[in-house]
Amino acid sequence: MKSARFGETLRVLAQHQIEFIVVGMAAGILQGVPLTTLDVDIVHHRTPENVRRLLAALTELHAVYRGNPRNLSPSESHLIGPGHQLLSTTSGDLDCLGAIDGAKTYEDLLQFSRELTIGPNAVVRVLELSTLLEVKRRAGRPKDIAVLPFLEATLDEIRKHG
Amino acid sequence: MLGEMLTASSSHQSVPLCDDNGVDRAQIREMLRLTPEQRLARVQEFVESVFEIQALNEERPVR
Repeated sequence: MKSARFGETLRVLAQHQIEFIVVGMAAGILQGVPLTTLDVDIVHHRTPENVRRLLAALTELHAVYRGNPRNLSPSESHLIGPGHQLLSTTSGDLDCLGAIDGAKTYEDLLQFSRELTIGPNAVVRVLELSTLLEVKRRAGRPKDIAVLPFLEATLDEIRKHG
Repeated sequence: MLGEMLTASSSHQSVPLCDDNGVDRAQIREMLRLTPEQRLARVQEFVESVFEIQALNEERPVR
């Protein structure tokens, strides 16, 4: 990994007008969770038009499959499916997830997301903190369980102090 | 929800810092005062600093 410029990754995705939801800890950080991460996870809308826009952004970011010695780039057929595409880009690692939390898609998650401004003319949609907490609880892996106290405490602070 | 909060050990400071899970509430409050863009910048600055230190130690790994 050469860098982790989360803002740049998200701004490129936003500039290409891609429909996506930031999930994972990047969503938590954007909403105030005091942790860090080394990648950005997104769930993208898997329509042909949106996947084409995503591919254009991934080309700009020089995305290739992480750990692949042949530096393979993702294709439209990869991104249209429900699988997880774990990519390395010039601005850091980016995971494009077709579905999460069982088989929840972009459309399923949309009602549990909110928009945040991350720069001039750059708005991204993130999974709401309460939903992120539920997703992490259901995932139940050690790495998910480890962050639960931070997510719970941040939600508690937001409820108490707004 | 998270139970009774601990207070700072310093005698002149009584602001609650960590809850009983060890989570520093002051850090959360500080993050909540920032905009999403500022939060991104703060985390990115930290990560980039870690990478810089790693690069400085690449030839002589810290053990």
